[in-house]
Amino acid sequence: MRPAWLGVRTARRVGALVFLLAGWEGLSRLGFVDPFYAPPPSTVASAMFSLFADGSVWTHLEATFLAAFLGLAGGLVLGIVLGFAAALSPFVADVLEPVMILLNAIPRVILAPLFVIWLGIDLASKVALALILVTVLIFFAVYSGIKEVDPRLVERVRTLGGGRSVLVREVYVPSVTAWVMGNLKIAVGFAFTGAVVGEFVASSRGLGYLLQFAQSTYNAALTIALILLIMVFVLVLFALAERLERRLLRWRHG
Amino acid sequence: MLEDVDLEVKSGQFASLVGPSGSGKTSVLRAVTQLQPMLAGEVELDVDRKDVGILFQEDALLPWRTARQNVALGLRIHGATPEDADEAADRWLSLLGLDGFGDRYPLQLSGGQRKRVAIAQVLALEPKLLLMDEPFASLDAIVRARITEELLGWVERENLTVLLVTHDLEEAISLSDVVYVLSQGPRAGVRARHEVDIDRPRHVRQSRHHPLFMTLVQRLWDDLDNENAPPPQADPTSVATESGP
Repeated sequence: MRPAWLGVRTARRVGALVFLLAGWEGLSRLGFVDPFYAPPPSTVASAMFSLFADGSVWTHLEATFLAAFLGLAGGLVLGIVLGFAAALSPFVADVLEPVMILLNAIPRVILAPLFVIWLGIDLASKVALALILVTVLIFFAVYSGIKEVDPRLVERVRTLGGGRSVLVREVYVPSVTAWVMGNLKIAVGFAFTGAVVGEFVASSRGLGYLLQFAQSTYNAALTIALILLIMVFVLVLFALAERLERRLLRWRHG
Repeated sequence: MLEDVDLEVKSGQFASLVGPSGSGKTSVLRAVTQLQPMLAGEVELDVDRKDVGILFQEDALLPWRTARQNVALGLRIHGATPEDADEAADRWLSLLGLDGFGDRYPLQLSGGQRKRVAIAQVLALEPKLLLMDEPFASLDAIVRARITEELLGWVERENLTVLLVTHDLEEAISLSDVVYVLSQGPRAGVRARHEVDIDRPRHVRQSRHHPLFMTLVQRLWDDLDNENAPPPQADPTSVATESGP
């Protein structure tokens, strides 16, 4: 059997994309579309090329990746710890739940200006924004993951003679892992959102900073090139997250 | 609410508790296992709590553990080393016809195979008393007949004491030494007790051709059909108000 990506469906999609890009390029060159607003693919490509050509993009990539990664890692740890604490202690739940529900309800990026005031325009404010986006997501994944653990599994382990520690190891931790892994891709997206939006608000480095610069100079080609760049990197991270998920949740694939 | 439940299972005896849905069969079993508290009454167990094996209708295998790990879990809880537990688990899986399935996850097994893993998990702990709550209800008739036959063979060889809860009258008779009939609520209770004098070892399908079999089925049906009729000792008017489907 031929691989799935060689199918008719893929051919149609690639064909449509090529048609769109060629049409766009053609319309732009014939003067039907103003290249100031909608620069043709070739201009975007050359903007992308010049980003890498002088090597300046790397410091920006590094800044964004570092902020996103630190926010993701910290948010995972904090979300898991708080989620476990709230699920196991009614006191913690009573205190945390309203805060988390509030933070979950608002668009958390509105906290960005506050973090800039508190933490300055360097890395810390971006990490904080990415962290809070991820923490709230993971908190609810863990909290509900523990509360909605299949009671039959708990009963089964009990009737086999298992105590609390066996329950945590055999039932709660794997169950929470499943919930966290199910949310990992969203968390990666959130971490990037936090990092880029944080940079967009105030910074001296990062893809968000470049975006802000491109926007303020009305450079549509650079803006599109940066959007594409961020898309590519997030997709790569998604693929990594998916591999991790498939590995840790291989029991789900029958 | 369940009242007047008085039943006894002697060592080495196979007892069944039959009754319609909602009669509280499961509650009785859960009370015996102490998973469910009772308002009044007591449960006397001559065996140690750890010698009680429980098989429920739904196979609650840990989905993130392989068949081997699921079987080994109980053994490890009871103090076996990981290596010993794995080895014993493989032995039990192979006894139940699951040779080579040790590395499969529950979602990669059929319903019948999962049930076999669940049985292996329980039998591996070598229980003296086996409590079963419609353990094979979710299986198709053919798989169900086979697994029932195998389990009965095991029970007879090992002389296990069994309390089985089921709504299948014929299954109850073909397997048991004694069948208790539970009547339906609001004031449910044990309504009758029947001994099954069919020789052991039994073959489940053949015991259905035993001359006693149909008579017993008929008696159980009579008990269930008459359950809304006033029991001899009760006040007829109060019973009439409680009758209904």
